[in-house]
Amino acid sequence: MQNDSGNGLTLGRVDWTSVLVYVLLVLMGWLNIYAAVYDESHASIFDLTQRYGMQLVWIGVSAFLAISILLIDDKYYHMLAYPLYWLMLLVLLAVLFFGKEVNGAKAWIVIGPVALQPTELAKFTTSLALARYMSSYSFDIHNLKDLVRVFLILLLPVSIIMMQNDTGSALVYGSFLFMLYREGFNRWVYVALIMVISLFVFSFLLEPAVLLACMVIVCTVAEGATNGDWRGKVIYLAGVALGTLLIYIGAWLAFGPVLSLYASLLITVILSLPVVLLYAYRSKLRNIFLFVFLFFGSLAFTHTIDYVFDNLLQTHQQKRILDLLGLESDLKGWGYNVNQSKIAIGSGGFSGKGFLEGTQTKYNFVPEQSTDFIFCTVGEEWGFLGSALVVVLFAVLTFRLIKMGERQMEPFGRIYCYCAASIFLFHVLVNIGMTIGIMPVIGIPLPFFSYGGSSLIAFTLLLFVAIRLDMSKQEQFML
Amino acid sequence: MENGSERVRTLKGVVVVVTAVLLLRLFYIQVVDTTYKTDAANNVLRYMVQYPPRGEVYDRNGAFLVQSKEAYDLMAIPREVKPFDTLELARILGVRVEQIRNELRKASNFSRRRASVLFKQLPKEVKVRLDERNFPGFFTVYRTVRSYPTKMAGNLLGYVGEVNDRILERNPYYRSGDYIGMSGIEQAYEEVLRGEKGVKIEMVDVHGIPKGSYAGGIYDTLPSPGIAITCTIDGRLQALAEELLEGKVGSVVAIEPETGEILVMASSPTYDPDELVGRQRGNNYMKLLRDSRRPLFNRAVMASYPPGSTFKTLNGLIGLQEGVLVESQTYPCHGGYPYGRGVKCHNHWSPIDLTGAVQTSCNAYFCYVFRNIIENKKYGSIKKGFDVWADYVRSFGYGRKLNTDFYGELNGNVPSSAFYDRVYRGSWNGLTVISLSIGQGELGCTPMQMANLAATIANRGHYRIPHVVKRIHDRDSIDSRFYEDHYTKVDPKYFDPIVEGMYRAVNQEGGTGGIARVPGLDICGKTGTAQNPHGADHSTFMCFAPRNHPKIAVSVYVENGGFGARIAAPIASLVTELYLTDTIQRPDLVQYVKTLPINYPYYAK
Repeated sequence: MQNDSGNGLTLGRVDWTSVLVYVLLVLMGWLNIYAAVYDESHASIFDLTQRYGMQLVWIGVSAFLAISILLIDDKYYHMLAYPLYWLMLLVLLAVLFFGKEVNGAKAWIVIGPVALQPTELAKFTTSLALARYMSSYSFDIHNLKDLVRVFLILLLPVSIIMMQNDTGSALVYGSFLFMLYREGFNRWVYVALIMVISLFVFSFLLEPAVLLACMVIVCTVAEGATNGDWRGKVIYLAGVALGTLLIYIGAWLAFGPVLSLYASLLITVILSLPVVLLYAYRSKLRNIFLFVFLFFGSLAFTHTIDYVFDNLLQTHQQKRILDLLGLESDLKGWGYNVNQSKIAIGSGGFSGKGFLEGTQTKYNFVPEQSTDFIFCTVGEEWGFLGSALVVVLFAVLTFRLIKMGERQMEPFGRIYCYCAASIFLFHVLVNIGMTIGIMPVIGIPLPFFSYGGSSLIAFTLLLFVAIRLDMSKQEQFML
Repeated sequence: MENGSERVRTLKGVVVVVTAVLLLRLFYIQVVDTTYKTDAANNVLRYMVQYPPRGEVYDRNGAFLVQSKEAYDLMAIPREVKPFDTLELARILGVRVEQIRNELRKASNFSRRRASVLFKQLPKEVKVRLDERNFPGFFTVYRTVRSYPTKMAGNLLGYVGEVNDRILERNPYYRSGDYIGMSGIEQAYEEVLRGEKGVKIEMVDVHGIPKGSYAGGIYDTLPSPGIAITCTIDGRLQALAEELLEGKVGSVVAIEPETGEILVMASSPTYDPDELVGRQRGNNYMKLLRDSRRPLFNRAVMASYPPGSTFKTLNGLIGLQEGVLVESQTYPCHGGYPYGRGVKCHNHWSPIDLTGAVQTSCNAYFCYVFRNIIENKKYGSIKKGFDVWADYVRSFGYGRKLNTDFYGELNGNVPSSAFYDRVYRGSWNGLTVISLSIGQGELGCTPMQMANLAATIANRGHYRIPHVVKRIHDRDSIDSRFYEDHYTKVDPKYFDPIVEGMYRAVNQEGGTGGIARVPGLDICGKTGTAQNPHGADHSTFMCFAPRNHPKIAVSVYVENGGFGARIAAPIASLVTELYLTDTIQRPDLVQYVKTLPINYPYYAK
């Protein structure tokens, strides 16, 4: 590494696209905070009693940090990854004991006039620690022991954050699955995850009997996709359908309405097991057991969902999920935020109402509009054009991070860049998705937009360390 | 990483999918689905109605019948209400302290931040006193209420009330809290009188607090005041008619024959229209509704009475037109019509001709005429002949609505042969229905229809649809149907003997309506005494004057008043006299009418 060739020379190797996107997003973010809290009586943009005034200060701090990062040698990140990680854990613990509670989450440190949220910075330090550990020479992602260590690195901050009662921030750590996939994590974990999520959603949306029928069909079709013999599958499904009907009607005639359709189907499937096993034995297809296991695993899972939902989730989390799935709506209660948010964004139309002309946001119909629901102001005042621009800019940023990661020579840089990409993608999807009603309400900020110094600084660090790493890779390359 | 590039592609695919999902959803809710725009408007826009003053109503001489008086609704925004002297407020409003507390609680339950109406239609004096004291959180809003300076013609003018749910459903113009004409002229000319409401669009924040006008006020509209109406009523005549009818149950209708303009439409008992205004309205309305004499029932157009002998003129005209009667035809009458069950008659000379029969109101004469009409051989059967007769009657405006500019008009009843076929199972003849010849039996007509007959005879064969509105102040003319002459099926040349008979009935010895005679006015009239199942005979009288170029046609109907000449004829005569001479020369007659006692045991129940 040679960095003493002068900063003037290195500037040319900065990923200017990312910097430009960053500047644009921060600028748009500030304009929207200004619009969200705008009030004729406080028109000066430097008014520090107003959020836009404070945000200007944070933007200044971030700019200073960004430039510093570009100027400072990048070898420190690898070196300091673990110390920073442990230091952050200590800070998080300290917050747990001495912090201030805001909106039910004890996640704030108040120093004089400034309130900081260390959880935001923890994403950054965790990314560094992950990159450091996973880039070590002996690390093997297929080794269970190594994997356990990776999960421990994640688990420590996640559990402290959960203890702070900040579920939203904890969920962000799930986004590292994106990075792990790049590093070769087992595909089946993702398949299983997708199935679990689908089962979870469909167990709410579908009748039990219909869900069970779907599970039978999906497992059979999946088996068919692996082993072929579609004729056998059709015969099997037809047999199950016929058997179910016979049992249902038969039981009804013999004993009256004692058996539900669900029970009849389940009985038929269990009765069909010997046939399936015989088929597996005859055709020497051992993987059929996998699908049988998959079916009964899913069956067991659907029965645990109710328990998990009723006992492990808090009421407001239950309501948010039911609201999202369209099962329960209470526009004056639980559904108020999302409904008002959708109204604000929807009323923006194609080209928006214009800067400072948004009535829904200006007159406070949307709650939390300068923080978690800042995207409402974008949607209302700038319309589809503005919202789409923001979404596209974030997509560009994510693609740049992936690109920067891919052109790294060292795994440390690549893993770090993917961590950053994961975090940005997750925040954007969940935050914007929440405001337009396709994601449950999870209180995490929209990068560069939501009001708050901690999150702005954290995302700036996250991005600019990636840019800095990318810069030195090119220095190396050129030398 | 052996399959690194494939995994990178997958991850890029995930980013693309996430972006696409967000973009599609945004496109859907922002561009495709328009409901959010409506919701946003509902959130932020408050439509403040600006009420216009309601149009005024004048009589034909330009005197006020209905005025719009300013009134104020007391509003309050509960959370801005500071502790105040409730006793003082109660004193100013003239209510009890608990009432104020009650209303404030109701308002509070509705919304702490939005204004609610506490007390409606407060007079201006109250508003001024409220302004002097200035109770924080309270303010007043301008409305107009009706005032009726003449205190008369309640049923004619009608009343104004708050719109109910049924009206709100049917008519999108109205919003809860609006006023609407509920009867009479107020209802008939609602769209003219009401004006157009204006609207001021305000933006409010999530707490309902006003944040200024919407789009700089370009969508705001000013209220346009209601249009004034001059009606055809003559206030003096109306007042006289109501005065004379006081204590009696009945109706006076007067029409200007040439134009069909209604000069008087009085129904008794009546009510003071001012009672149905303001805060006592509900109580007063219930009181009127419970009154057994039904003061809210506009007898002039809603009551169906047997016309009695006034109807004989019509049978005479039909006979002449049908050629079964000539003017000089005489019939004998010795105490009545001797066929069938017989029809009694009173004492007069015999044999008697047509004019004499009208003059003396001979029952027998018109029994002969009526049978000749319906038993006319050229129609082959009595049923055919009867329907021809009924058609004539209908051409005079009987048995159907006259289509006036007034709601609630009754059809009345002119029976058809089919009706009698049903009642008598096909076996009936002229004798069965003989009472129709003298205006009894199954006939039903309104005082308005009787007045229209008087006007038709005065015009010698045609009428214009009676109407109450003379001029709408922003228009050159009223509805075109009021300018059409409606000719009856009887040729104008046949009217002279009937007019002569009516003239003699009032102005010659032996006439039945001598009491109505005013020297020089040439009143032509016909008395009627209608038998009815509810007690004493109804007294009725129709007339017009002067004989040539008549200026006024009057019909008076007094329930249970006895002979036509006893009470109806004097009233008609006095109304005519006042209209034609501007004075009353017969104070004794006025006194006689006003003090004549009539009992209504039927209504006492």
